Amino acid sequence: MELFANLAHGFAVAFSPINLLMCLIGALVGTLVGVLPGIGTIATVAMLLPITFGLPPVGALIMLAGIYYGAQYGGSTTSILVNIPGEATSVVTAIDGHQMAKQGRAGPALAIAAIGSFFAGCVATILIAVLGAPLTKLALAFGPAEYFSLMVLGLIFAVVLAKGSVLKAIAMIVFGLLLSMVGSDIETGASRMAFNIPELADGLGFATVAMGVFGFAEIIRNLDAGAEMNRDLVQQKITGLMPTRKDLMDSAPAIGRGTVLGSILGILPGGGAVIASFAAYTLEKKLAKNPSRFGRGAIEGVAGPESANNAAAQTSFIPLLTLGIPPNAVMALMVGAMTIHGIVPGPQVMQKQPDLVWGMIASMWIGNLMLIIINLPLVGIWVRLLRVPYRLMFPSIVIFCAIGIYSVNNAPVDVILAGVFGLVGYWLIKHDFEPAPLLLGMVLGPLMEENLRRALLISRGDWSVFLTRPLSAVLLAIAAFLLILTVLPVLRAKRDEVFTESEN
Amino acid sequence: MADTMGHSATATRNTSVALGFCLLAIAPQIFEFIWSIGTIFGWGAGRGPATVVTSHVTALLVGAPSAIFGSFGGGTKKASSEVLLALIYSYPLFAVAILTVFMTIRSAQDYVGGVILMALALFALWASSDLQGMRGFSFGAGTAPRMFGGLLVALSAGIALTGLLADGPAMAHYSWRGPLFVMVAILFFALAIRPLGLVVTAFVSFMIAALGSHETRWLEAAIVGACLTLGCAILFPYVLGLPMPMFPRFLVQ
Repeated sequence: MELFANLAHGFAVAFSPINLLMCLIGALVGTLVGVLPGIGTIATVAMLLPITFGLPPVGALIMLAGIYYGAQYGGSTTSILVNIPGEATSVVTAIDGHQMAKQGRAGPALAIAAIGSFFAGCVATILIAVLGAPLTKLALAFGPAEYFSLMVLGLIFAVVLAKGSVLKAIAMIVFGLLLSMVGSDIETGASRMAFNIPELADGLGFATVAMGVFGFAEIIRNLDAGAEMNRDLVQQKITGLMPTRKDLMDSAPAIGRGTVLGSILGILPGGGAVIASFAAYTLEKKLAKNPSRFGRGAIEGVAGPESANNAAAQTSFIPLLTLGIPPNAVMALMVGAMTIHGIVPGPQVMQKQPDLVWGMIASMWIGNLMLIIINLPLVGIWVRLLRVPYRLMFPSIVIFCAIGIYSVNNAPVDVILAGVFGLVGYWLIKHDFEPAPLLLGMVLGPLMEENLRRALLISRGDWSVFLTRPLSAVLLAIAAFLLILTVLPVLRAKRDEVFTESEN
Repeated sequence: MADTMGHSATATRNTSVALGFCLLAIAPQIFEFIWSIGTIFGWGAGRGPATVVTSHVTALLVGAPSAIFGSFGGGTKKASSEVLLALIYSYPLFAVAILTVFMTIRSAQDYVGGVILMALALFALWASSDLQGMRGFSFGAGTAPRMFGGLLVALSAGIALTGLLADGPAMAHYSWRGPLFVMVAILFFALAIRPLGLVVTAFVSFMIAALGSHETRWLEAAIVGACLTLGCAILFPYVLGLPMPMFPRFLVQ
């Protein structure tokens, strides 16, 4: 079995001391970020990108991956104990989790969240290992036309899964595509929209924009709301971590369903952990015999979403590793991390860098195991962190972000650009535009343009090539179908329903 | 919602929105003017403020109209970049501003958001107007930016239209304190990191950013800022090996 040989190789790589250390650091930082509200995964990964310069590529990616799935664990802790979701992915966990905590069952809620996450993490790890090779073979059948259509599909998915108005989400994607055009043209070398600013000749750095729109904008927005957030900690001591037999029986099917749903939504381009947790909560509510229990401390309401977001966080590596297409903003930053180390993500990575791919996959399983240990017994330490007031936290985040951006290129202009994009992000928030599709558009922009040009060059200017090549036609048909479905009123109502959970 | 506010209230509001759009329509020109003031003191290269003002004013008042009529007459004289800016960016926005006065805005959040996004798209169209377009069936450098720019104009017009047709939220409240001080801190960091080094810059930026919240206690902020600066001064250059100036240049020399 090739699969087991590969996995064994991966574990051999992941168990080297340096990689174990990186995995631990990633999991710790991820948990920290997940616990602290006001600083998200995207900003953190962007901030830590320059730090990975000095690390070996495998270790760097293991650490960054650890941050992403670690944040999913950490987010659940604060959701349950303090009713403050540290991450967007654990917003729904807070609904039932905090109710459980109020009833004195914080221990079981935390334990189920951790067990669910661990189970989902294990399944997703195996899924990546199993699906990786066949999808890579599929990718080799892809020409430029297919790649272009696949990216269109991915962007449409991002629209379907985004919150709020479809029109606004599409506009954000196109805005992102437009931003990605800044800088030198790949084929002709002509400088586009750079206004003779030398720092723009290379294009807007993705990390710079991400840090502005997600880091600085978030800080400004939080300051708006008044720096001091309501933090009524559940003060009583957490007793009895272990869930009862009944808890386990109740949550086992929910964990299974959440894992499956999360894995699927994670693989789909444009998806990711946030939508997975929302969808899983809605599913559990629909399937429950007595839906009125939800919102009053139903353990399924914790188990389902927590498994789903963890599964999705991990399976979203599949499109990145096999097709070279980042399905969401965090994965887009991983592309950045790979390029820093001279690795071009795509089908060839699996063959050329088996150490990297399988080491990372194996490290995810190890990381999940570490996270259980980090989260369950040490939960008290994490909660204590919440007592750090925001008035001290936000200037620190500003400084860290500024140093982080500066050290990517040693360019002060990048810092100013990130600040400008912070204002843009603030404006986007105020007008209810989602920044996530913008970032996805910005990442896929150059790839899309390149493949579009190439496809048209090969077909000698014939636009019908996208419809006459079967694979490409199927992908575009799915995209069109999805878009029509989303605009239809019936489905719109359902889609809105999924998201309204966050507001009540 | 508009009914409860009374007719006159909506009208005054619309005029101020329209005036805002007019300002937006000449924002790039104003920006270039402010930038050009620097050339008086010998900063940067470029045109002086007087040239900037005359060229833009003539473009807005004379050049662009004559270019429009010239194109009707079949003239093929190449328009200058100021005239193009007026044609592609400023005039459409002036048109939108005039239309705004006569419209009932039902969702200011969508309407204003859509129009500003449209302004960005028009600006991008102008910025890529000097690039080469399609050559036969092969893409020129300007093809894709113009394609996406045009698409964004259409989409943002759609968003603005929903703001007119469907009820929705009004403009959200913008506060000035947080954005201002965080931006000043970032700007200070960017300008000072090279000449002043990490230690001074990080601490001062921290204190400026701390001004962004009215809950800041000064002693506490100074202590945390000092600790953070010390931590950064050890972490980034030594632990992570990122090259960075540490102390002010004039002290080191």
